[in-house]
Amino acid sequence: MSKNRELLSKIGLRLDGRRADELRRIRCKLGVFTEPDGSAYLEQGLTKILAAVYGPHQVRGNRSKAQHDAAVVNCQFSMAVFSTGERKRRPRGDRKSTEISIHLRQALTAAIKTELYPWSQIDVYVEVLHADGGIYPACVNAATLALIDAGIPLKEYVCACTASLANNDVPMLDISHQEEIIGGPTLTVAALPMSGKIVLMEMSQRFHVDHLQKVLEKALQGCRDIKHILDEAVKSHIQDVGSSTGWANTT
Amino acid sequence: MSEQYKILHPVKYYRDYLAHNIRPDGREFDKYRPIVVNLGSISTADGSAIAKVGRTTVVCGIKAELCQSKAEAANEGFLIPNVELPPLCSSKFRPGPPTEQAQVATQLVADILKNSECLDLKSLCIFPDKLAWCLFADLICLDLDGSLIDACMIALMAALKSVRLPVIDYDPALDNKQANLEHRKPLNITNIPSSTTFAKFDDKIVMDPTVDEEDLSTALITIALRKNELCFVHKPGGASVTDEQLLKCIDESQKRAIVIEGIVETALRSLQ
Repeated sequence: MSKNRELLSKIGLRLDGRRADELRRIRCKLGVFTEPDGSAYLEQGLTKILAAVYGPHQVRGNRSKAQHDAAVVNCQFSMAVFSTGERKRRPRGDRKSTEISIHLRQALTAAIKTELYPWSQIDVYVEVLHADGGIYPACVNAATLALIDAGIPLKEYVCACTASLANNDVPMLDISHQEEIIGGPTLTVAALPMSGKIVLMEMSQRFHVDHLQKVLEKALQGCRDIKHILDEAVKSHIQDVGSSTGWANTT
Repeated sequence: MSEQYKILHPVKYYRDYLAHNIRPDGREFDKYRPIVVNLGSISTADGSAIAKVGRTTVVCGIKAELCQSKAEAANEGFLIPNVELPPLCSSKFRPGPPTEQAQVATQLVADILKNSECLDLKSLCIFPDKLAWCLFADLICLDLDGSLIDACMIALMAALKSVRLPVIDYDPALDNKQANLEHRKPLNITNIPSSTTFAKFDDKIVMDPTVDEEDLSTALITIALRKNELCFVHKPGGASVTDEQLLKCIDESQKRAIVIEGIVETALRSLQ
């Protein structure tokens, strides 16, 4: 692996031909399954994520977990064994998956209006079918869509995005798996785009603190763009569902 | 109104439909749901397929690894299926270790594969007693709406047909493996086994039940066929079935098996 590949070439193109501030293609669909209360499928580049939401329902298992003033949000992150280059031995339960489940719960709890459902539980299950970088942000985006499909009240969309720094100077948006491996720091940001609030921020590798401002700005701009894309998908889904049922009030 | 009736008196609700020779989703007793197959969507897997039987969705990913063959079967490779029923497919499942239903489904799929001899395990052997292919076939159910085994078999056979294994040059003296990633060969699949599920309710037998019908049924029968040969019949307890009913089920499975084979072949041609 001695090929010295630059993250950003001299003419400003990245390894997959994108410019520094371009997102990968996002395709998403709500309501893909019938069993869960809400479900969504999201593709970001080659990364494919499925999210399913059950709830709000009675707290299962440990009753003492129930809170008197808010709903309990339970997230489970799982990767299909065939989703990565090497076959994954443990789809869930290993440290990385548990960490991502916890981060997912923290990000979503910030946006769900949990005070409306005391003594209840909301389950969010995320399954990765194909992993190609930016797994956590794609999970957050898919989970947001699934929550909207389930009809759970949210304060705002939660969107997440990764950003990095190339050539120690140029901030890049939406890092793919190849770019992660080659090196270079990765900043993951989950935010509420309309109000500009940051819900979760995580970083790997290191870069000088002077660059933080512009990389963070890039990531937040990415979150705002993703919010537009998700919003379009939600609106078209509502139009489909509404017009097929005649926008009727059924009694 | 009918929603409340369905929740309060599910058995009577279903019985009323059956009395008019129709099921709640509008099908007759011997009609099956539409089948959709898509191949090759997951490029990290060596072979993949998604199969939908009605709303039941199963995705199959096949990963190939090199391993040493077993001492008692020195010139055979391995084909290991694994069925997962994650909590996102149905509210009946909680996070945790595989449920009984998942383990039984895995064993059923393994038995059908062994009985049908669809893949000659000897063709997976690279060097006897030293090196063989081990194919892990992982089936993940994404939406459970009845007829799980049917969807699993279709996804599995379609994925197996789409697998392209690289040719391996093995030097036993030096224990040196060279994989030729450019030159890939498909697997030698001799036939496509498929299964059909039936549910018995009162004295009527319905084909391809949904999950509501499975829950209300008094017995479930799964029949797996390859070409015109029976390779597996599974009737786990439940109400008794007369031999005429069983033979009628086998007849209907045969007709459906031909249709399924056609669908998998058509999907495969689209991949090429």
